[in-house]
Amino acid sequence: MLFFQSLISGLLSGGVYALAGIGMSLVFGVMNVSNFAHGDLMMLGMYMAYFAFTLLHIDPYLSLVLIMPVSFMIGYILEKLFIGRVIHHPHQNQILLTIGLGLIMSNSALLAFTSDPRILTTSYSSSSFTILNDISVSVPLLLSFLITCGITAILYLFLAMTRTGMALRATSQNRDAAQLMGINVSKMSAITFGIGTALAATAGALIAPTYYIHPLAGHTFLLKAFTICVLGGLGSVIGATVGGLIIGVVEAMSSAYLSTDWKDVVVFALFLAVLLFRPQGLFGKKGDQ
Amino acid sequence: MKQLTICAVLVIAAIALPLLIGNNPYLIGILITLLMMATLASAWNIVGGYAGQFSFGHAAYFGAGAYTTMILLSLFNTNPLVGMAAGIGVACLIALVTGSIVFRLRGHYFALASIAVAEIVRLTVLNLGFTGGAQGILLTDVPFFGLDLNSKSPFYYGMLLTLVVTLGITAYLRKSKTGYYLQAIREDQDAAASLGINVALYKNRALLLSAVLTSIAGSIYALYIRFIDTSAVLDLRLSIEIILTTIIGGVGTLWGPLLGAVLLVPLAEVLRSNLLGDTLFRLGVVSESSPVGIFLKDGLAHGHVLVYGIITVLCILYLPKGILGLFRRGK
Repeated sequence: MLFFQSLISGLLSGGVYALAGIGMSLVFGVMNVSNFAHGDLMMLGMYMAYFAFTLLHIDPYLSLVLIMPVSFMIGYILEKLFIGRVIHHPHQNQILLTIGLGLIMSNSALLAFTSDPRILTTSYSSSSFTILNDISVSVPLLLSFLITCGITAILYLFLAMTRTGMALRATSQNRDAAQLMGINVSKMSAITFGIGTALAATAGALIAPTYYIHPLAGHTFLLKAFTICVLGGLGSVIGATVGGLIIGVVEAMSSAYLSTDWKDVVVFALFLAVLLFRPQGLFGKKGDQ
Repeated sequence: MKQLTICAVLVIAAIALPLLIGNNPYLIGILITLLMMATLASAWNIVGGYAGQFSFGHAAYFGAGAYTTMILLSLFNTNPLVGMAAGIGVACLIALVTGSIVFRLRGHYFALASIAVAEIVRLTVLNLGFTGGAQGILLTDVPFFGLDLNSKSPFYYGMLLTLVVTLGITAYLRKSKTGYYLQAIREDQDAAASLGINVALYKNRALLLSAVLTSIAGSIYALYIRFIDTSAVLDLRLSIEIILTTIIGGVGTLWGPLLGAVLLVPLAEVLRSNLLGDTLFRLGVVSESSPVGIFLKDGLAHGHVLVYGIITVLCILYLPKGILGLFRRGK
């Protein structure tokens, strides 16, 4: 029973991880940038949900309607001001730039919101129901999972069906060729970073009701998002989805059978194992490792 | 010849400095930190600057030196020099594992994997019993050949010696065959491989050398502070600070890392010790109880990391080759 319980709760939290991973993978695929500020953008999403709830009394799940467009704009502007300018630089410069942006965000949050952890308590924060006799399902995690599924489906449709989506995929496949075909690749980069930021902030808002909200919370999620991306194959959206679910389950299983202290070690060991045995990831293209 | 003279003058000045400033423990403390960051940045520069492999996990090697020395000392009362040697062994082991996993890969993957290894080391130390876990290790008494370790100057000279050795190795390396191989790998890995350079072997050598020097600095730091915990010696933040120091000074140059430390360490100290706030209070520009005053007093404790972030962003956008890069436009 412990097995199924861990499987269910792992899949549910894995869904939110997947959302963060997809955002990072999309940025990597289209822009070829490792975004080290991704975790801090998630942290911003957590605070947005917190303040929307405490100041404006909007339910954290409803506040997504506000958080997504606002964070999209933040991402779009960040790309125009900073990241777009280093897109042809060596990748270590891009990494350092995003680290710098992340440090600015997390430490500004420390100054503005202090280091006290905050808790977003909704009426259903700790409610759960049981299925199949005695497997309990947490209501906020289930809601987050369903919203994640919805957003992921919309993102797939957007990438597959719309002209902008196709242009994004073209840019991801070959930036130069896409530009020759008349695609405005710098605009595509900005849109991609906007979407990536919106997905990170959404993931942050979705876990806000079940997690401590802290200015340095991004750190943990950044490393998780990277693990997910590498596991799924850097740049692959499907890979990031599957990778997120796998990481969620691995975490839940290692908490259940080993101890919560060691769950992150297991996740990072898995990460190294992927690099060792299948560096292109589960769904990645071979050749550019 | 001119360079040698400058070096000799610098070293003599550094040796004489503690005598000049008397035994002001505060100033010596800052100087030790400065020498340490310069050593760490120079050691990182060997693998990051010359070989072009950006390791984001150098805290693991620093922590390996610090923790091994302290654990051996607190459990078995081992001679600190033996502890230092054991620390080098542990650091080499971590470097070999990291290198063998990731040096087949390139670019983003090496950066990511080096973080993963460092995080595994950090979490393992945090979760194990004999490492002191979250409480860290505190030593009140360090036996050392009757040397008075309560004075700070032995650590000053120890750190200075490590820095001189690190810079010496770097200076030798960049004109040696290995150094040229490393720079060839940095510029174009495929071209280097096609010329018959064993890319993985030379990357591993650079990482090992860098890890050894970093762990020595870690051991000295631990003996000097006598208290270590994972957030002080194994954190990702330390790895990032090491890289920033190098980048700001000038990555892939002999003097860049030292210059970076000379600029950043005093800056961090000014922000951390609230020198700015105190001066403004004393001059009566800002009242201590006003909102601005409270912000200066309480808020700026985190300020130095924020300033690091801003400097990094500006540096990458406007000075990607560091300050020394300004003077080497032609190259």
